Amino acid sequence: MPEDKSLQSVAATPLRTTVVHSDATAKWFVVSSIAYFFIVGIIALTIAAKFVWPELLGTVSYLTYGRLRPLHVNGMLFGWLLACDMGLTYYLVPRLCGVKLYSEKLGLATAILWNIIILSAVVSLLAGWNKGWEYAELPVWVGVMVVIAWVMFGINIFATIGMRKYQQMYVSLWYVMGSILWTAFVYLTGNFAVEFTTGVNQANLNWMYIHNAVGLIFTPIGLAAAYYFIPKASNTPLYSHKLSMIGFWSLAFVYVWTGAHHMLHGPISQWLQTIAITFSLMLLIPVWAVVYNFFATMKGQWQQLRENVPLKFLMSGVVFYLLTCFQGPMHSLRSVNAIVSKTDWIPGHAHMALLGCFSFFAIAGTYYIVPRIFKTKLHSEALANWNFWLMMIGGLGFFVTLWLGGFWQGWQWNNPAIPFIDTVKALKPIWTVRFFSGVLIFCGIVAFAYNIMATAVNANLEGGL
Amino acid sequence: MLSKADNSATFAVVAALVLFFIGGILTTVVPPLVDKSWARPFENNDPAKGPTGKLLPLNEQQLHGRAIYVREGCWYCHTQQTRTLLADTKRSGWKGVDSPISTPDEFVYDTPHMFGTKRTGPDLSRVGGKYDTQWHRTHLRNPRDLVPGSVMPPFPWIVNDETEFKSLVAYLQTLGRAKNWRPDNDYER
Repeated sequence: MPEDKSLQSVAATPLRTTVVHSDATAKWFVVSSIAYFFIVGIIALTIAAKFVWPELLGTVSYLTYGRLRPLHVNGMLFGWLLACDMGLTYYLVPRLCGVKLYSEKLGLATAILWNIIILSAVVSLLAGWNKGWEYAELPVWVGVMVVIAWVMFGINIFATIGMRKYQQMYVSLWYVMGSILWTAFVYLTGNFAVEFTTGVNQANLNWMYIHNAVGLIFTPIGLAAAYYFIPKASNTPLYSHKLSMIGFWSLAFVYVWTGAHHMLHGPISQWLQTIAITFSLMLLIPVWAVVYNFFATMKGQWQQLRENVPLKFLMSGVVFYLLTCFQGPMHSLRSVNAIVSKTDWIPGHAHMALLGCFSFFAIAGTYYIVPRIFKTKLHSEALANWNFWLMMIGGLGFFVTLWLGGFWQGWQWNNPAIPFIDTVKALKPIWTVRFFSGVLIFCGIVAFAYNIMATAVNANLEGGL
Repeated sequence: MLSKADNSATFAVVAALVLFFIGGILTTVVPPLVDKSWARPFENNDPAKGPTGKLLPLNEQQLHGRAIYVREGCWYCHTQQTRTLLADTKRSGWKGVDSPISTPDEFVYDTPHMFGTKRTGPDLSRVGGKYDTQWHRTHLRNPRDLVPGSVMPPFPWIVNDETEFKSLVAYLQTLGRAKNWRPDNDYER
């Protein structure tokens, strides 16, 4: 193996460390998150199919669209993506600090609690115990468990950082710390503070939470992973430390202001809409700082994308990040918003962020760490490559058709001479393409889950967990 | 200045929280203090100032209907806001009369709010009084019987439970009715 050049830039990173990591917590989080990726993938396909065949499973109350959609959203967000990102965090933080994880016991307890949370969420959402706030549908007692689990996660990570051997902290560590702290406040606002408000005031808090669930939970924890795995997987130093600082601190300041852009033209104060638009445009600063840094890191190294599956996922994720974060500021402009808001453009945008970008980062990280934590080889490189292309083609089919369809839908809505039902019928070919793209994405999930599970099982047969 | 965060976790944490709370507080805590219309229920007796009427809290039956609307996730596909777009006032309108736009004072008693983010089906902010009970019964049992091409799921378990059905319709008939916007009061019951 060539010398690991990436570590020269990873200021004060464990280079030839003697620390032996147990990684038990990372294993549990990653493996269970992949199981949910698969299970919730079935639900995702079911609701996509309901757009094409609306009678499908239609007379069973707990399998109706209104019950399955929150299960899909919460399952993918908290069961798959956040759990996987937490697993990756449990892997990378001890390594960047040059010490063992503060407590594997606490970590395992967190993993168990997390699984209890996800299973409780499945039961309550199917039963229709829905609080009625998007992304915050789960009953209060589940929300309380999430808070407890998050505090356990935070204690473990902060204690590890507190014990670190290397004083200088790599950018991934700031993003992890930011994510843990911001998430705490954003989650409390979206799940608990809303209980004490009504009407527009409540909607404003709800959308501050929805926007920042993506912007201040999944973005920083996902970028922490990308900042770690892009240099690692390509064995190349990060291009610029200064640029990563600009990205981080502008993200910390700018993101939280933008919640009201979900209500443009709606019944909320115009001046608040204008503030949200202004700060939405400023989001281009943190995004371009990050994207430029990653692209510049890859300069002269692009040939590695031919063979290196984690790198394929990472760099396509960066491209999707650039695209989705260009869309966001653009459709917060009043003129564009008047066309695309509330259309199928929006799920296209949301899926490009959470599937195309952050799930790609998480998958890349999983492919990178699983052979290392199980101390074996990946079951099949070819299958991993299939996973990439299935998700890439399925993802593009999904995103592109929904943008085109959503834009077209918005134009039709703006012509009141077209009856609403005709705008629904017009979207049917779009929804059909979306369903079949979803089938491809799901095949990618199956390839991913099988590959990782087979790797884990092989490792156990060889030498025990 | 922020380069201090490279070496000090405490500094990084404090700076990240301070920057976050500036925007957090200015956009969530301050707006309702500045814009009082968010908390003042709609009331207007002067036709010169636009539609007259008064926002009333929902009664027990209507609240039950609202709970069903939340439970079944109707709000994932139906928004409840007539935006400041000409097309929205036409589409929320009825029989040639444009709908008034939605204002914050019409939603003061709403919890959870039902503004919505996605319109797979039409907006419902002014649906109150547009369709009679029999229409809703047929439509909820199988939407395609009345609206060919619709992708709305059927809800037989609501129609088959007379209490639930009546509550849901009672709620739907309140939507948008604080503003008395129909000429001649031609609402369906």
